[in-house]
Formats: sequence, structure tokens, C-alpha cells
Amino acid sequence: MQGSTRRMGVMTDVHRRFLQLLMTHGVLEEWDVKRLQRHCYKVHDRNATVDKLEDFINNINSVLESLYIEIKRGVTEDDGRPIYALVNLATTSISKMATDFAENELDLFRKALELIIDSETGFASSTNILNLVDQLKGKKMRKKEAEQVLQKFVQSKWLIEKEGEFTLHGRAILEMEQYIRETYPDAVKICNICHSLLIQGQSCETCGIRMHLPCVAKYFQSNAEPRCPHCNDYWPHEIPEVFDPEKQREAGISKSNKKSLRSRQH
Amino acid sequence: MPRGQKSKLRAREKRHQARCENQDLGATQAPVAEGESSSSANLLFGDRPQNLPAAETLSIPEALQGAPSTTNTIAPVSCTSSNEGASNQDEKSLGSSREAEGWQEDPLSKKVVSLVHFLLQKYEKKEPITKGDMIKFVIRKDKGHFNEILKRASEHIELAFGVDLKEVDPIRHYYAFFSKLDLTYDETTSDEEKIPKTGLLMIALGVIFMNGNRAPEEAVWEIMNVMGVYADRKHFLYGDPRKVMTKDLVQLKYLEYQQVPDSDPPRYEFLWGPRAHAETSKMKVLEFVAKMHDTVPSAFPSCYEEALRDEEQRAQARVAARAHTAAMANARSRTTSSSFSHAK
Repeated sequence: MQGSTRRMGVMTDVHRRFLQLLMTHGVLEEWDVKRLQRHCYKVHDRNATVDKLEDFINNINSVLESLYIEIKRGVTEDDGRPIYALVNLATTSISKMATDFAENELDLFRKALELIIDSETGFASSTNILNLVDQLKGKKMRKKEAEQVLQKFVQSKWLIEKEGEFTLHGRAILEMEQYIRETYPDAVKICNICHSLLIQGQSCETCGIRMHLPCVAKYFQSNAEPRCPHCNDYWPHEIPEVFDPEKQREAGISKSNKKSLRSRQH
Repeated sequence: MPRGQKSKLRAREKRHQARCENQDLGATQAPVAEGESSSSANLLFGDRPQNLPAAETLSIPEALQGAPSTTNTIAPVSCTSSNEGASNQDEKSLGSSREAEGWQEDPLSKKVVSLVHFLLQKYEKKEPITKGDMIKFVIRKDKGHFNEILKRASEHIELAFGVDLKEVDPIRHYYAFFSKLDLTYDETTSDEEKIPKTGLLMIALGVIFMNGNRAPEEAVWEIMNVMGVYADRKHFLYGDPRKVMTKDLVQLKYLEYQQVPDSDPPRYEFLWGPRAHAETSKMKVLEFVAKMHDTVPSAFPSCYEEALRDEEQRAQARVAARAHTAAMANARSRTTSSSFSHAK
């Protein structure tokens, strides 16, 4: 985004409908976003050519700019799926969490966030989080309650749970990256390739630099002898596959149903 | 790609400097961001938008403190510059250092933007919106300007998102969004899923309408059961259907759930809620029902006639409303306060 030098785009009902639906879903994967865009054209402007998604979104963002909102694109850390969410840009705008959660709940989130950022794997175990309930600000919270609050965070797409461990949802990373980088400048991990916040990733065992899994996939694509970009030592980890939207879709309707189900559930 | 740490640091120092130079309220201050007692407002965002030319942006006075938190919650100090601004609880208005849009130079504009964010969040979560919450979380000291701030925020949202904010309950001051784009279905899934997410509501509205505009609870559940939705069984799409029907949709004013008068033992019935009347129509619901039965609305003659009459009434109401709106707009341009939300 170029800021105030960008000329104001024009919003039509196509864009408005798109925004409404995007907002209803909170966060969407790129394939869903494209389908949404096509749907909006179909409803409002059947004969128009569908804009390239990037241009379409930039257009909307230029209008939303004055409201300190934008549609932001990110990539899931575990398998590199591109995701989109409507994100607040203003520093101290209404925190999406503060109005939904009590003081002790927000503090629980902060504790979980700190554990996640400090962890080696990007995951904090439920046990470790729950052990901190005595330190929470505000009303005293029992562990049972805390478990439910953690589930609330999962449902609102701030956290993801995998086998009893919690990490940040892609959407939370999109929204909170700047905040996290400023609040925890020493603890925060950065990807050596894309220089964005890193929660989950692989690290070089020699020099310690880290990379997102999708960044690893892209960087080492078709490289028979992957070596650390920093110290040139042999890269010891399994190289994941580059995310391929086509292959995803071919996997069948049932899979996409399952996925959209999942995203709706949490 | 986020900006590097150095430029952010420099920007922060500039802001800090500007703030120290201009402690009082005034039109040309660099607004306080991390000040305001580094509230829970600082919760998620540590820096200003990257596209802003100069200093800071918005601040929420006394932090979103309201009910959820009275002190700093997650964000201790979101920026390295310390919080001297914290003691200064007054709001700063947006600085003219932001040369972008002229409308942002007046002191209410950041409240407008904050309210926009607040309202969009409610829209996204399909939560009810009350005047009380808006004042508690956003408007705060400016509650004398509530109507103006709300009007401006609504206009922005209407322009960008095509949704109208209307007061659905003038006594308890509940507001709700109405899509101007006629969005009654969960459109992204209606092609592929068997039941759209809002299908549950549509089915209920259908049963209620076909039953003479009120339907005993049992009748509604009977139809739901046919679709595989059971009141007390967790549903993969709807979660807790009983809660959705008797609490969530009622709270959102789509349905009314009340005891059948003089029923003993008490039985309950469903009716359309005010929002259902506003957001959809008997004809639309009838079309939905007809489609589900693979037929046409006129296959249900008495319902069809009633739906036609309803359409006529709505058309007349729209004409009247438009005339009224025009008159109100003229009146409003001459007064400062606006009770537009009541002019329905």
C-alpha cells in the first residue's frame, strides 16, 4: 500500500458485497476469496470482467484506508495456504479482543501468547498455560474455567489447538504481528527469508536462523542439497512441498468441505 | 513486508517528541497513541499504520476500560517510549500533520473511526449492538456527540460495506445492521452445501409463516428433524440448535420465542422477529420454501396471496419513507442534533 498517494478507488456493489461476505467469515483462504469475488461479480455485474484479485483488493483497500482498515493477505505457517482477513490498522483502535473478554481472560491470552513466543516449537502446552492461572490479573480463574476460555480463543480464531498444545491462528498473526514485534522485541523470532514474524518454523542447528515452513519450501524448491542461507551448513530438516492451490482443489470436494467446515468451526 | 525496526523507532521518537511539545488539547497535536494509560486499547497494535505519513493515529481515552478491564491488560507499554502521556487522560485530536484527508482534522473523527471498527466487529460476530456498549467502549466522554458520531460512522460503513445501521429497539436502544444488498443467504456456501448457514433461520421463518405467522415450538422442531437438525443434539454446522433458535436468533431479533398465552403446562411458540420483517419478506421466505419443495410460490395459494399483499404494503412504506427522509434531511441540515435514527 502506498499510503495517501494512492488514488481513491471506486466502490461498487460488487466490492461491498465482497466486503460483507469476507467480514462474515472473518478469515478466508485464497481459493474461497477468489470464489467469493467471482460470486459477487455474478450477482451484481454479470458482464464485467473479473478484476485480478490483487487489483480488486487494492481498490477496496484504497477506499478503506481512511477508516484504518485493510484486507490483508498472509500465509499459514504450517502449510503455506494464503489467507485473507479484514484487519484494523489503527494503533489503538478498538481491540477486537478487549470488548469480548474479561480482564483475566485477556491476561490468560497474554500468558499463552508469551509462552508461544518463547517456545522453541511455537506451541505452548495446555498444562503450561493452565499452570499460570494463579498469576492472572483480575478475578481469580480456576483451571477448569481457563480451559474453556482457551476454547473460546480457538473458536474466535485467535488460537489453534493441536493435540493439547496451542499456537497462534493465522488470523491472529495477521492482526497482531506489529504488536507482537513491538511488545516482545527480544523474544520474537523472525524468518530469515521473508523477515516477518515467525511462530512456527525450522531452524538451522548450527547458526540458529529460522525460516517459515512455506519459506523453506520455496527457498529450497528443487534443491537436492539444501544448505543454510546464512552459514551454509547442511539443512537437516525435511523440506516441505510448496503449496499448490491446484493440487488442493483436485483433492476433491469432500476435502474442501472438510476444510471449510473446520474454518467455520473454529 | 513490515518496516524495519529502525525506521519504526525513529518514527516513535518523533511522535514522542511531538507529544511532549504539545501537551494540551489542540487542533494540531500529534495524537497520543500509546498514551491514554496504555490501555487494553493497545492490546493488539503496537504501531501506527504503515501508510500514515506522519505521527500517530487514534487513541481511546481511558482505554477501552469499561467493564472488561480497568487496567492495562495485555499491553504493558506497547512502544519503547515511555508512557508519560498516560497521565494525560485527555484526548488529543488528530494532527494536521496528517495531510491526507481533510475530514480527519476535526476532533470527533477518530471516535468515528473507532466506532466504525467497533461496529464492524459486532457485524462480523453477528452480535447485538447497544447504545450503552457504544458509549462505554468507544464514545466515552463524547457521549453528547453520540448521534453525530454514530451518523458519521454509519455513513462510512454504508458507503464501504453497503450495510445500514438501524435502531431496531428504540426503548432499549438496540441497533442492527441491514444489508442493502439483499443478503439473506450464506452465499458462498449455498452452491455447495445442502443447507446454507442461515438456512436454519429461513426454515424456521418458513414454518412460522406457513403456519399462520406463529408456530408452536414442536412444529418447528418437527421440520428441523427432517433436515437432520435436532434440538438437543450437537450439529456440525449449527452447534447447539436449541440455543441458536431460542437464544441467539432471538437476541438478534430474527425470531421471537414466547409462551403460548394461557398454556398450562407452558408451551412455547415462535414468531418472526422485527429484524426478520425488516431483512426479508414473506414473499422471499415463500420462495425459499417453494424451492425446497421443488415448486413455485403460487402452489401455496393462501400464503401466496398474503405474501403479495405484504409486498404491496412494503412498496408503499418505502415510498413514504423516502419522502420522510427527504423532509428530515432538510430539517436536519438546519439543526445540530439529529434524531435520524427515530425517523423510521
